[in-house]
Amino acid sequence: MKNDGSVLLETRGLTAGYEKKIVLQGVELSVRAGEVLALIGPNGAGKSTFIKSIAGQLARSGGTVFLCGKDLRQMTPGERSERMSVLLTGQPAGELVTCREMAAAGRYPYTGRLGILSPEDWEKVDAAMARMGAADLADLPFDGISDGQRQRVLLARALCQEPKVLVLDEPASFLDIRYQLELVAALRSLTEQEDLAVIISLHELDLVRRCADRILCLKDGRADRLGSAAEIFADGYLEQLYDLPAGSLEPAAPAPGKFSHYIRSEGKQLRCGYTTGTCAALAAAGAAARLLMGVWPETVSLRTPKGPVVQVGLEMQEISEDGTAARCGVRKDAGDDVDITAGLLICAEVRRAQEPGILIRGGRGVGRVTRPGLDQPVGEAAINSVPRQMIREALEEVCRTAEHDGGLEVTVFVPGGEEAAEKTFNPKLGIEGGISILGTSGIVEPMSRQALTDTIALELRQHFAEGHRRLILTPGNYGMDYLRGRDADTLGIPVVKCSNFIGEALDEIRALGYEELLLAGHIGKLVKLAGGIMNTHSRQADCRRELFVTYAALAGAGRDTASRLMECATTDACIDVLKEDGLLQPVMDGLRDAILRYVSERAGENCHVEIILFSNVHGTLAESEGVKEVLRR
Amino acid sequence: MRSHRMRRIVLSFIALILLLILLLMMNIYIGSVSLTPGQVADILFRHDMGSTEGRILWTIRLPRLLAAAVLGGALAVSGFLLQTFFANPIAGPFVLGISSGAKLTVALAMIGSLSAGRTLSSAGMIFSAFAGAAASMGVILLLSGRVRSMSVLVICGVMIGYICSAITDFVVTFADDSNIVNLHNWSRGSFSGISWGSVRTMLPVVGIALILAFALSKPMGAYQMGEAYARNLGVNLRRFRVELILLSSILAACVTAYAGPISFLGVAAPHLIKRMFGTVKPLVVIPASFLGGAAFCLLCDLLARTLFAPTELSISTVTAVFGAPVVIVMMLQRRGRREQP
Repeated sequence: MKNDGSVLLETRGLTAGYEKKIVLQGVELSVRAGEVLALIGPNGAGKSTFIKSIAGQLARSGGTVFLCGKDLRQMTPGERSERMSVLLTGQPAGELVTCREMAAAGRYPYTGRLGILSPEDWEKVDAAMARMGAADLADLPFDGISDGQRQRVLLARALCQEPKVLVLDEPASFLDIRYQLELVAALRSLTEQEDLAVIISLHELDLVRRCADRILCLKDGRADRLGSAAEIFADGYLEQLYDLPAGSLEPAAPAPGKFSHYIRSEGKQLRCGYTTGTCAALAAAGAAARLLMGVWPETVSLRTPKGPVVQVGLEMQEISEDGTAARCGVRKDAGDDVDITAGLLICAEVRRAQEPGILIRGGRGVGRVTRPGLDQPVGEAAINSVPRQMIREALEEVCRTAEHDGGLEVTVFVPGGEEAAEKTFNPKLGIEGGISILGTSGIVEPMSRQALTDTIALELRQHFAEGHRRLILTPGNYGMDYLRGRDADTLGIPVVKCSNFIGEALDEIRALGYEELLLAGHIGKLVKLAGGIMNTHSRQADCRRELFVTYAALAGAGRDTASRLMECATTDACIDVLKEDGLLQPVMDGLRDAILRYVSERAGENCHVEIILFSNVHGTLAESEGVKEVLRR
Repeated sequence: MRSHRMRRIVLSFIALILLLILLLMMNIYIGSVSLTPGQVADILFRHDMGSTEGRILWTIRLPRLLAAAVLGGALAVSGFLLQTFFANPIAGPFVLGISSGAKLTVALAMIGSLSAGRTLSSAGMIFSAFAGAAASMGVILLLSGRVRSMSVLVICGVMIGYICSAITDFVVTFADDSNIVNLHNWSRGSFSGISWGSVRTMLPVVGIALILAFALSKPMGAYQMGEAYARNLGVNLRRFRVELILLSSILAACVTAYAGPISFLGVAAPHLIKRMFGTVKPLVVIPASFLGGAAFCLLCDLLARTLFAPTELSISTVTAVFGAPVVIVMMLQRRGRREQP
């Protein structure tokens, strides 16, 4: 049932007061079907008086209230009770009354002379209780349950009265934050699905923001402002309404700005970003919260495996027509790093599943694995295991909060993912149709080019200034680990990480006048040097297979080996092929010599260069003649 | 669970009716002259008024037990109506001084008519009792507008009761007619000397009032949730309140007119009934309170008659012994729960 948006309640010049003291003056308002109107204002502003006046609990001294187009004054109590139900601030005692009986009081206007409920009446009572999450309270004594539970029973009572206008006076006061949110969700779904308007007075501004379509601000008995949440929560108005010093009402949850986790590198601060995996987990958590609790969370947050908490706002909040699926997106923030996926919206759609547990699928824009040797088996969506774990944990957390026992099905999708993926190496890796959802730490530490080269140059200069003339250089952490394994870190020779900027590092080494350099690196990176590619970032060039093929051919490989090499997704796979064909060592030696040649050339004739090639899987692959001597010293 | 509640109500009704029948029979058989079932059947079938036993049964025991049953039930229902009205289970006609108010006006009317050389008619008794009950009720209502706390209101009611009783005692002491002996007995509360004429008058009055009270079950149920909710549910509060007050006053007045003030029954009986039936639904509690009040009153009257025979105790003495502890327990229980505003 869709509501038609007709005006259900209208006040014209509503004036009311107690014993000649005017508390409410000339309030004009009209509330339409499908609308939640919140009433806010400082104590004594006339909120309760307004509620009581429109609910016919208080004789008004002036003005008119129209309920469903009819003057309230000309209605019998019975007529009014079929159109409006209320939830008031006080709770009835309810001695020796079960919750179901208490809720059943809402059927009063529809029962006969003795007030006996028909089976249909009871059905409506049970439906209302189920809707308010009070079904399991049905047979408990009303005076033996908590205030919050009582409040839900009373809401069910108000609901099964089948009102057109539901009036709630500070309904959240007895509820803890969870039930407050559930109340808000229930109200939202009510106004979405029924031909009904809700008028609610609230002190909790956060709830107001979540549930209200419009807000009526009362001050000193007058309507001070009537507007949407955006207008009312606009800068400074609320402070004015509550007579607070400007700025004392900070937004409850600050609008999420940029992710502000920084890494410091030698006096420079680089802003980190978060991975596509983090985005997917956040989006999934947001959609699940909407699905299970009925409210879009203002922000979602999670702790990344690395440690920092990422808190973001949600975009593209959508709920399916039938309400069984919620989807939203989180914008990928790569921080100061340059990244093809930066700015993409990583989205998740969550729906309830028949089976328990959490099922993760890849949708449009997420790649599919077509070749073996990757994190996921062939045929699976390219959502790596760590992001899968993050999604699962985030959803389990939401399920716990919402006390949802069933399963969830989440589909990760990335609008524009196909196009973006073409610029990545996914097609070459055998991941088709979209980008990968990846990231093992959850956050992206930036690799800003200038910042990095500056950092490296600085480090090189410092070591030189300290008197070092010998140096060990390695692209990254793999190299550091390998060197530690060979006790190279205990030699007293400085070890410098140069990332992909090998050419820049060599230029600096040459300019400074280092005398001896040991370059140790993973074959996957250093193989590029054999082709003279001095920036090993995959964005610059790949050429790894081609170089393998070239040196394999030089070692005597045939066309078959060459074509098999060209099909490999990773360098480790290439090495496997070479090993099978008994070509590994000659190829590695060939590559080593080529690398040595290019590096020596770049480092200048005054610098003696040694090279180590290794792989995480196969260990040391090749090293130049002087390495052992260097490491022995 | 729900059928469990229904079954409890049905079983309670059956138990209550059996108890009532048992007490009615005991009231017939037991007394200064014991009767056997054979004698009773014989007397009833032959309408025997000639023998001593026949006269005892027809003119003394039968009207007395009928009056005890009807008036006890009426008092319990009156108590329940007042408890609903004030949203307080300790409210009752005796506690709020309504019985004593009725007692005072009945005493004044009796003395007035006796000194004029006439005896007061049954209707006249009821009418004057109602006037007194209504007057006391009026005072209580005025006070309840000012006094928020229910316990203070109850204390006020007890004080009103004392004032009325004091004036009644004063009037009775200084009246010099020989009928004053009867009046004195009555003013302490007793079912002795009730005639068929009185029974014939009280039956329709109590009967109609009960039916009307039962017809108020639905709005009473809503009113139990509080005024504001009742109003929201479409109860015409002004009319409902007047009806409730009038009915409870009529019932209390009727009892006082014939049996004098009967203490605590109006509080204890509905309370025991609510506990026994496990519900406060007026639809159930009104008829059940009537049956329960009747049984309670029959038991108390039986004890009043027989315990120290031939000396008869006042009915209030016995109801107080049984009723007051119930009220005390209730108040202690309420103290344990949250205080009503």
